Amino acid sequence: MEASIVIRAPHIQIAGVTIAYEKPDQAGTFVALSGIDLDVEHGTFVTIVGPSGCGKSSLLLTIAGLIQPASGKVFLNGKCVTGPSRDRAMVFQDFALLPWRTVLENVRFSLELQRWAGEDLNDRARRFVTLVGLSGFEQYRPHQLSGGMRQRVGIARALAVDPEILLLDEPFGALDAQTREAMGNELLRIWEQDKKTALFVTHSIDEAIFLGDRVVVMSPSPGKIVDMIPIELPRPRTIEMMDSERYVDYRRRIRVHLMGGIERERAVIAPHG
Amino acid sequence: MVNTMRSRGFVSTVAILVFLAAWEIAPRLHLVEGFYTSQPSHVLTASWEILRTPSFVKDVSVSLEEFVLGLALAVVVGVPIGLLLGTFQTLRYLVDPPIMALYATPQLALIPIYVLWLGIGMSSKVAVVFVVAVIPVIVNSIAGVRQVDPSLVLVARSFCARQHDVFRKVILPASLPSVMIGIRLGMSRGILGVVVAEMYVSQDGVGNQILKLGSAFRVDHLLFYVLLVSAFGFAATSLVRKFEEHFEGGR
Amino acid sequence: MRNSRTLLGVVSFAMILVAWEAAVRMGWLNPFFTSRPSLIFAALVTEAKSGELFHNLHVSLGEFAVGFGASVLAGLFLGVLAGWNRIVEYALDPFIWFLYSAPLIAFYPIFVIWFGLGTYTVIAISFLLAFPPVMVNTIAGIKSVNPAMLLAARSFCARPRDVLWKVALPASVPMIVAGLRLGLGRALTGVIIGELFASSAGLGYSIAYNGQLLKTTDMFVSLMVIAILGVAGTQSLSLLEAHLDFWRAGPGL
Repeated sequence: MEASIVIRAPHIQIAGVTIAYEKPDQAGTFVALSGIDLDVEHGTFVTIVGPSGCGKSSLLLTIAGLIQPASGKVFLNGKCVTGPSRDRAMVFQDFALLPWRTVLENVRFSLELQRWAGEDLNDRARRFVTLVGLSGFEQYRPHQLSGGMRQRVGIARALAVDPEILLLDEPFGALDAQTREAMGNELLRIWEQDKKTALFVTHSIDEAIFLGDRVVVMSPSPGKIVDMIPIELPRPRTIEMMDSERYVDYRRRIRVHLMGGIERERAVIAPHG
Repeated sequence: MVNTMRSRGFVSTVAILVFLAAWEIAPRLHLVEGFYTSQPSHVLTASWEILRTPSFVKDVSVSLEEFVLGLALAVVVGVPIGLLLGTFQTLRYLVDPPIMALYATPQLALIPIYVLWLGIGMSSKVAVVFVVAVIPVIVNSIAGVRQVDPSLVLVARSFCARQHDVFRKVILPASLPSVMIGIRLGMSRGILGVVVAEMYVSQDGVGNQILKLGSAFRVDHLLFYVLLVSAFGFAATSLVRKFEEHFEGGR
Repeated sequence: MRNSRTLLGVVSFAMILVAWEAAVRMGWLNPFFTSRPSLIFAALVTEAKSGELFHNLHVSLGEFAVGFGASVLAGLFLGVLAGWNRIVEYALDPFIWFLYSAPLIAFYPIFVIWFGLGTYTVIAISFLLAFPPVMVNTIAGIKSVNPAMLLAARSFCARPRDVLWKVALPASVPMIVAGLRLGLGRALTGVIIGELFASSAGLGYSIAYNGQLLKTTDMFVSLMVIAILGVAGTQSLSLLEAHLDFWRAGPGL
């Protein structure tokens, strides 16, 4: 039997993107990312891992259209990205919820902003609240929720507008270790339903491997891609896989990159130290 | 270039200059009645006149004296009371409500009472400044004590510090920034207080002059005194702010 | 815990009144200067019955409502403009500072020329006194909105209008309410000192009038009413502020 392989153009194409920031007091420019080339295929879950300050968040913000690269371009379905639009939605590390709104109203927020038509906003929001496992908490306010619950609201809000691409910027960074693990599982469970293209930034090696189809490893600033590792572990992922040889290999490989990066950074700061 | 043009100092200065220019030109063009609004040039001439009269120094010194005395009293009385109340909870619960009630009332309404009690001389003005300034001093001193990091106190105690040592070496320095804020607030209220009190009734002082000039519709001279008071307020609070910044590090 | 606080507060006031009354009756305080609670209360009742109290209250509260109301509208409007646009803020800054620190009562003769003796002058003074804290706090509120919320809104394609009305303004409400609380006190002060100098009706005028006639008890009646108004007003806004505390979005919200 012939299996027909549909070859699609990559969903996202990042070509030669460099991101630079003005340092305060006109002390020059700080290059966060330098010459990034990356292709992301449809329906893949790509994790980006790297030390702090290597510009991974900046890359995500650029894909979201919230900052402009100093050079290079980002293409979505072949079209150049110039600003935010309905096909991308973001989940933030510090949740960025509106404290005066209830859970339901927070999830509605994205729908309101995009003037969502064709469905009652409350009904739609309610569906996504249930999807992330918060049904019964619709009338609660963020200050009454735990960190994990707040991030679920953030995820619901992003999914509610049915984006093509989900961008997650260290979404579990503000949570404690146990909640992180639980949330990671939760996220995969939710993602499996639609299998949207997703980009997930983290500085946890375990999270990167466990969640991703592919891990992109970055160096410290100026950030460059130093490795791209396809993760050949079957889905759905289980905790037991973390003990497998393959997993341990991945882990070692990534750690070597990150440690090497840190050593180089230290050498720059204190060459004789 | 664009950066300078957008800077705070530049835009503010331009705004002031535009305002001064409009203020000067409008009466000349008869767009407004100069009698009511005066002009910068007239205010300048008036200022020059006033500065040369002997009574100017006398008025300013009277007001200054009343203000400084009232403020000094407010600090000397208010800071210890505030620190005390901040430390002892039950006492604070008892004394706080009247103090907060006083804070919430327009204290300047009490001026006629002080005049009744102390006459039209300096003492009633000092009383006004005292009451108006002491409340923020007390309230902020209380706040200063209460926001001292309890772990600091714990550290001192762990080294067997006695109560008055803890007070002197930990609580006092840590509350100092809040106390300074209280003094600064008391200062600005005190300045307003002394002027209003003098306007209400007195024989001399800046407020008294303001009243006389106002009643005679000598707007140019009036504006000079108004600007003088504002400038003094600005200078005094800036000075205290510098002080505050100096002590910020000790938090 | 809270109940014992309220109790101590009430006890505190009661103690003061009792001590006051006792001190006068025992000759420690001269009633000419201080009057005493029982007399004040009696005079309050008399004034209430004669309608004098309500007339004064009506005048003062009316002036307060207009002055404070106008300052809130102007303060919010200009505050949002200045908070949103830095150039506007820098341009208005020196004038706000002047309004804050100048003895505005000094302008009352000019107001009298413009508006005549009485109500309009008082309203003008009240407005000018109350306006600066409302505006300054509104500016601070808008400027201190958690940038993460603004970023999130933008990421969902929010237009500037949406960002202002759905994020920035609601987020500034706690600070705005604080500004209203400060403005309320100053508006009331403005009404009272306006009436002291430039009016012939109202609670402030009543204090000055009775003061000149050395009628201490009547002075205190008006003072008590003013104090109660001030406390009631600021307390309600304080309560509102505390209730809205969860609207503040710190990090991790």
